[in-house]
Amino acid sequence: MKKISFFTLLSGVILGSLAVMQSCGSGAQKKEETVKGSAPLEFREKLSDYGFFVGKLSSLQPQSNVIPYELATPLFTDYAVKDRFIVLPEGKQMRYVAEGALDFPDSTFIIKNFAYTNTNHEKIMIETRILVKDPSDKQWKVMDYLWNAEQTEAVKHITGAKLPITLLDDNGKAVSTVYQMPNTNDCKRCHIKNDVLTPIGPKARNLNFTPAAMPANQLAVWASRGLLKGLPDLKAVEQLPDWKDSRHFSLEQRARAYLDVNCAHCHTKGGDAYNTGLFLEYEQQEPHYLGIGKEPVSAGSGAGGLNIDIIPGDPEHSILAYRMNSTEPATAMPELARTIIHKEGVQLITEWIKSMPKQKVPAK
Amino acid sequence: MRNHFCLSAVIAACCLFASCSNLPKDAAEKAPEYATELTFNPGEESKIVEALLSLKANTSILLKAGKYSFDNLSIAQVNHIALKGEGKDKTILDFSGQSQGGEGIRITNVIGLTVSDMTIRDSKGDLLKINKSRDVVVANLNAVWKTADSTSGGYAIYPVMCNNVLIENCYAEGSSDAGIYVGQSDSAVVRNCKAAKNVAGCEIENTTNALVYNNEFYNNTAGFLIFDLPGLSKRGGHVKAYDNYFHDNNFRNFAKAGSFGTSWGVGNASPGSGVIILATSHIELYQNRIINNNSSAITIASGFAVDEKAAEKINDNYAPISQDIKIHNNTIEMGPEFPAPAYDHHIGKLLVAIQQKLNKRIPVIMYDGISSNIMTKGTAANPDGICINQPGDNIFVNADFLNMQHPEKWSPATDITAYTCK
Repeated sequence: MKKISFFTLLSGVILGSLAVMQSCGSGAQKKEETVKGSAPLEFREKLSDYGFFVGKLSSLQPQSNVIPYELATPLFTDYAVKDRFIVLPEGKQMRYVAEGALDFPDSTFIIKNFAYTNTNHEKIMIETRILVKDPSDKQWKVMDYLWNAEQTEAVKHITGAKLPITLLDDNGKAVSTVYQMPNTNDCKRCHIKNDVLTPIGPKARNLNFTPAAMPANQLAVWASRGLLKGLPDLKAVEQLPDWKDSRHFSLEQRARAYLDVNCAHCHTKGGDAYNTGLFLEYEQQEPHYLGIGKEPVSAGSGAGGLNIDIIPGDPEHSILAYRMNSTEPATAMPELARTIIHKEGVQLITEWIKSMPKQKVPAK
Repeated sequence: MRNHFCLSAVIAACCLFASCSNLPKDAAEKAPEYATELTFNPGEESKIVEALLSLKANTSILLKAGKYSFDNLSIAQVNHIALKGEGKDKTILDFSGQSQGGEGIRITNVIGLTVSDMTIRDSKGDLLKINKSRDVVVANLNAVWKTADSTSGGYAIYPVMCNNVLIENCYAEGSSDAGIYVGQSDSAVVRNCKAAKNVAGCEIENTTNALVYNNEFYNNTAGFLIFDLPGLSKRGGHVKAYDNYFHDNNFRNFAKAGSFGTSWGVGNASPGSGVIILATSHIELYQNRIINNNSSAITIASGFAVDEKAAEKINDNYAPISQDIKIHNNTIEMGPEFPAPAYDHHIGKLLVAIQQKLNKRIPVIMYDGISSNIMTKGTAANPDGICINQPGDNIFVNADFLNMQHPEKWSPATDITAYTCK
């Protein structure tokens, strides 16, 4: 009996080894095939090299195949003025996905231009960020382009930059700051989810509205133009609230939309802040994950001597509001993408926390 | 090449049958070779920043001796990378100019990483954070803040959500949380390291299969912590610490008041703590020298000791009761008096109260006594497999935390019989 089982075990080892050898062989062949395919994508040196825009570059007048889009609730970036575009390869379509970003075909470009309004009320170009889905490995890649002082061209720039500017905020008030253009690793930091680089903005729910510049709901327009396939009846498509629209959305809805867009790319399972256990997606329902009554895990002195992320009814002692209201490195949240406080955002979150019914918090 | 690869695969396959050790390999054993080797000198900071942003897989970066100043550095999503200096006292990276972000050096999504042979210092946030990476070696690294106070960043050496981590021959000083902090990781070794003047010298948190040996953690608030916290990505446990020297950890707790959570943070560590085991299981402490940690040489506590709502947080990733704790063959000595900062600390005051109640020097091992009986309504004397085998007397106290608020019922007990290893 013993002998038989030993033999069985031994043959198992041999068969197992053979299997490994076989899979080795096919693996190596596959690898050769991949190498034979298209070479990895190389980014162009200048923004104009892509030919996305017609006429004067800084007017961002899109070519016919360049699709402008807007988001119901955008990320705050120092009151920057943003223009967004999608470029699909000839004859290809986006595919509707209910959760997360739309499914884009290989070689899609997503373009996001950042500008600010100066004290002469002129739009000054800062940077143009590009995401492209590399057909050689089907992975998204990032690059950033820095506009020159003459505003005639944007040039590839991987290291980020600190740019002293004076901008007008949403109330027309002048604010001086040192704008931080991200480096390419900073880009990855927000865009990597579950180890894969992914677009953040163009989710169906955040596109599901009618921008001022468009005749109808932009998802519907794209579907009718044959750019988007698989779009269900719009009634069945989730809608992310516009964080400024208090006529149609409740305080809580707007606050949660704001947190989703400004925080949840990192504060989600699989995101950069997975380790914090604070998850701020719009669909998140678990109070502890949302920070309600939750102690920080590794906030360090960033918590400012406060103990709880959100204390219902008490925004002054809630770490969430405290960190949004700071510009200090290691305290400020989000860690990237802003150098000044988003007063309107802080106010929204403060009001939301204030509106929550007070709970009994155990005394320590 | 192909055959060679197959041969290794066969060996690996056979190896599975022979139940290989899952421990990290020695740094030396790996002997990594890199396709690209880049070398930089002080003054070339902007070139270094650019090089790290444009890394291709299989690259080593050597920073020659001298002082470098950076805002911050990052490496992301690229495999088999080494960032090395010419020695701890030779290559110095200063991050006091940090203007954005949470750390001096952040490394994410790297498989095969070595950071070694340099000093990194004085960032606003953490010094070296390594997130979501695998096969990580941090060696011969000094990670220090010149001032040990609450303005320092939280963690000096901070791998989190990593797999297969080796930290060796490192020194951490001045962290306002833990000098060496391994969080939410699996398979970690910390050895031949030193940590001083941190709130916690070293902390293993929600991490499984960790070995901590041949280290010296001294002059911190608390020497060595093994914690599980609720609401995180994984449960910890299966940690062994041996042949360490945890001594003179009597430093004031300079974690920013409450900044690590009233309940859970290292702000809870009383000055004078040698080792604290909190809400984690399958722990073995042996052959350590635990000397002159003058509030509690070893503390064993449940999540209930710090959070009355711990039961609500139980799930697959969290169990508040510490179970299967083996403590044996350590050399433990405490000085005659609590350190002065313990009297000003909320947990320190509890320890002082226990001593007063016992009317003798507090025993070297303090157990909060909150057992799984409170969940099962059981009555067993030691239902959670606490096993202690230490020579000498005044070894143990069950501090009866549950009744501490009720002086008439509170009865700390020093009888070790039920907790002696069978």
